[in-house]
Amino acid sequence: MTNKLFFRSALISTILSYLLIFVGGLVRVSGSGLGCPDWPKCFGRWIPPTSLEQIPAHIDPTAFNIVLAWIEYGNRMLGVIVGISILLMTAIAIIYFRNNNKIFYSSLLSLFLVIANGGLGAIVVSSILNPFIVSLHMILALFLVSTLSYLTIESYKLFNDAKFTNIHLSKKISLSLICLWIFIVVEILLGTGIRTNIELIAVDNPLLSKGELLDALNSYKYLHSILGFSLLFFSMYLCFLFKDDFFGLSKLLVFFIFGMIIFQIFLGELMIFFDLPQLVRLFHTWGSSWLVGIIIILYNTLHYEQSK
Amino acid sequence: MNSLNKKLVIAFFFIFMLGSFGFYVIDKAAKSRIDNIGFVGKVPSFSLTNIDGTIITEKNLNDKISIISFIFTQCEGACPIMSVNMATLQERFSSSKDIQFLSISTDPDFDTLDVLNQYSTNYSKNDNWFFLRGDILDVIKLSEQGFFLSAALLPAGHSTRFVLVDKELNIRKYYEGTVESNIFELQSDIVTLLNQG
Repeated sequence: MTNKLFFRSALISTILSYLLIFVGGLVRVSGSGLGCPDWPKCFGRWIPPTSLEQIPAHIDPTAFNIVLAWIEYGNRMLGVIVGISILLMTAIAIIYFRNNNKIFYSSLLSLFLVIANGGLGAIVVSSILNPFIVSLHMILALFLVSTLSYLTIESYKLFNDAKFTNIHLSKKISLSLICLWIFIVVEILLGTGIRTNIELIAVDNPLLSKGELLDALNSYKYLHSILGFSLLFFSMYLCFLFKDDFFGLSKLLVFFIFGMIIFQIFLGELMIFFDLPQLVRLFHTWGSSWLVGIIIILYNTLHYEQSK
Repeated sequence: MNSLNKKLVIAFFFIFMLGSFGFYVIDKAAKSRIDNIGFVGKVPSFSLTNIDGTIITEKNLNDKISIISFIFTQCEGACPIMSVNMATLQERFSSSKDIQFLSISTDPDFDTLDVLNQYSTNYSKNDNWFFLRGDILDVIKLSEQGFFLSAALLPAGHSTRFVLVDKELNIRKYYEGTVESNIFELQSDIVTLLNQG
């Protein structure tokens, strides 16, 4: 009963956090990060103003744009909802799972991460969207969904023992998955680096088109493409490893990873040939966060099977 | 349909909806940027002298996006920050011929053309930045009635705001010239206006 309760709260927290990454990405690609110039309030109000008259005298109304204000505030409100959801989950962990180290400490870690990232959100605003801090905000969110994905699969295993038996597992597979996860994180860092640099160049060169910005990047941008294609072959190899001996969740997840990498490469090429359309950037970022979480789920399914 | 396929269909539908939502929001944000650069009024006629001796009137604002500030050379508080920020904008938009800058002295008694010229060399790297002086009463009138900016107790009482004027001589928006986030805003508004043509 409590197992299921915790699993549900972890699952809801995970789904909400993924939604939050999507909305956060939306804030970035739509350029709404300064929609509210103050933090945590928006133009001195808990509910963003809907007209100029509502802005208090001590706050400069120059930057007021109702659309951007509500996009930014939507991100903050969803952030608060995620925070509450994780707080409830951690409360359940503290009450019922004090003896389960994995769940107890991971819950505390996720609570810490969500609070820290909320605080970092304040610094994002006060730094006037310093690209490094914006990227750090995204990377912390990736750590958060990783931790939450881990909690979800760990708690799922508590009441689904039967689904995880009878699978042969080699060290090779376990090691391959760890490598894949590390490479994907490196790939995300490279991608984040590209975006950070594009934004830095764009601030100093506001007249450059998106295509020209891409051209202005160092040659290291190719590393992202090269590693991307390497990951495709790597995940193909993983599919091959899983070909015969696996079924159910594991096999589904490994094919999902393969498909997701193909999809990411497709989105990446779209971005190069169509001058970084915002919606494609959004899904490219969001998809990468999916990969990070899915690999953790897959690995922990297998890790459990291995120790049996 | 088995339960896995059903879940997949629901998942794809959900992601499709999310994508549509994203598309809507991005589009709405882009349009709001244009709408947000309002119309305050028309630039009135004026006549001031530039550091090279030429007379600059409102006609020189035709077909250019102009950023206008009020400063004086002996000012130690806001003006240096304002002029540094304007210099940054001049540098960043240096490849565009459609943008110009005007700094109007609020202390014409001290700020002779020579003094202004000396001051300009500290900031301006190009000839699209005019440093202007004229009769103090004209400057007050231009500030208060032309641009709706306070000009009490000059020289120090000048406004620290930048004025954005479009190619049709419309006063579009004001920006606090000493606040970095306002300069950021101004920069993106200039790009929006330029893209509009």
